[in-house]
Amino acid sequence: MRISAHGMAADLPGGWDARIYRRPPERPAAATHPVLHAGNFALPAERGDYGSGAVELMSAAHVLVVLREFGAEAVDRPLFAPRGRPSPVPYAAFRPDGLQRAIQGQAGAQFFFTENGRPFCLYVVLGSYVNRSGLAPVAAGVVDRLQIEPVTAGPAGGP
Amino acid sequence: MTTLVVAEAVAIGLLGLLVAGLLRSHADILRRLHQLGAGDDDRRSPADVRFGLQPGVPAPRDGLKGQSPGGHDIAGQTPAGDAVALAVVGIAQNTLVAFLSSGCSTCADFWESFGGSGPTLPFGTQLVVVTKGTDHESESRLRQLAPSAVPVVMSSAVWAAYDVPVAPYFVLVDGPSGQVRGERAATSWAQVAHLWQQAAADGRLAERRTTGTGDDGFRAARADAELLTAGITPGHPSLYPSSLPEPPKQGFQSADRSDRDRQRALLAVAMPVAIAAGIRSTWSP
Repeated sequence: MRISAHGMAADLPGGWDARIYRRPPERPAAATHPVLHAGNFALPAERGDYGSGAVELMSAAHVLVVLREFGAEAVDRPLFAPRGRPSPVPYAAFRPDGLQRAIQGQAGAQFFFTENGRPFCLYVVLGSYVNRSGLAPVAAGVVDRLQIEPVTAGPAGGP
Repeated sequence: MTTLVVAEAVAIGLLGLLVAGLLRSHADILRRLHQLGAGDDDRRSPADVRFGLQPGVPAPRDGLKGQSPGGHDIAGQTPAGDAVALAVVGIAQNTLVAFLSSGCSTCADFWESFGGSGPTLPFGTQLVVVTKGTDHESESRLRQLAPSAVPVVMSSAVWAAYDVPVAPYFVLVDGPSGQVRGERAATSWAQVAHLWQQAAADGRLAERRTTGTGDDGFRAARADAELLTAGITPGHPSLYPSSLPEPPKQGFQSADRSDRDRQRALLAVAMPVAIAAGIRSTWSP
């Protein structure tokens, strides 16, 4: 199953839900940027950009992948200096204190990078820290199949 | 004697004419039937016989040939221009796919009822609205209609995959098996609810057939579906009455009128007799 929007695309294995969205601007001419959510569970309608609302529903076998783009001005910042996404996603990077919202038993990892001239944050949540050796490869398989198109002259606030 | 013989000969002659007339009539009928083609099928092999549908009648799906058709995962665009992918096959929960259009008048009631917190569904069932793609639908109109609590996916490919004949049309997919458990056109939510009632009944029969047991789960699902159809949702006041009806009283109160009359008449006779007998035993020396 493949979806694409806002210069991102994802080839998903069976049983995965995904959304690629960009929030409407809160004020005219304000910039918003695309976000991708993908999980091997039913994603709820209401979610925060870093998966709040979804992570609470995760069981020990679930994985959530978040890819959030930042504004073009972030490209020059040291935080986004790494070129390209981590491949494979390092298993050792997942820690309980790596979660944006701490939930007992879960583990998270966050990576900042620039790819095709676009700055991104990749945030991955595993439903079980204990089983990270089994879940991290599942997440890595999806991350490897994400596609990021080169930055083009698009509408204001995004690619 | 001669007269009798002559009469008998005449009678035999008349009967012979009658039989000849009947045979000729029968031959005419057979000839007409032959001209109409009757009896030709007897000379055909069964393979020569062709069955077909009237023009305009859609061909039956595979599901009508003895096997449930399979569901399909759903992917497409939202009315806001975002992308969405929803797993339907191989997941724990069931999916009710509502195929709607922004233009059909019958769909308007469903768009309205899906607003707010969404309609009440059986436990473990997600609702997804699917419209055709941007080549057939108005994105601006769909942005106005799209409910916040129910995902709306625009995809002509999904319509084609499910072979949707008309809108509004509903398909219930069993998540674990990925099979379509029911599908129908509907004009009201009560008709849609019939889908999972039917699915529960079919599942109950299938389980009985395969295991000879197992009724409780489907009975509970059917009860839930029937309560929902009647508008009784979880937490409905009728499920928690403030007072219970009084149980029927025992003894005389439970007897019918004729019984009570008989008992009163018996008392009317027995009481004076008993009193008189007591007085006599008291005063007798």
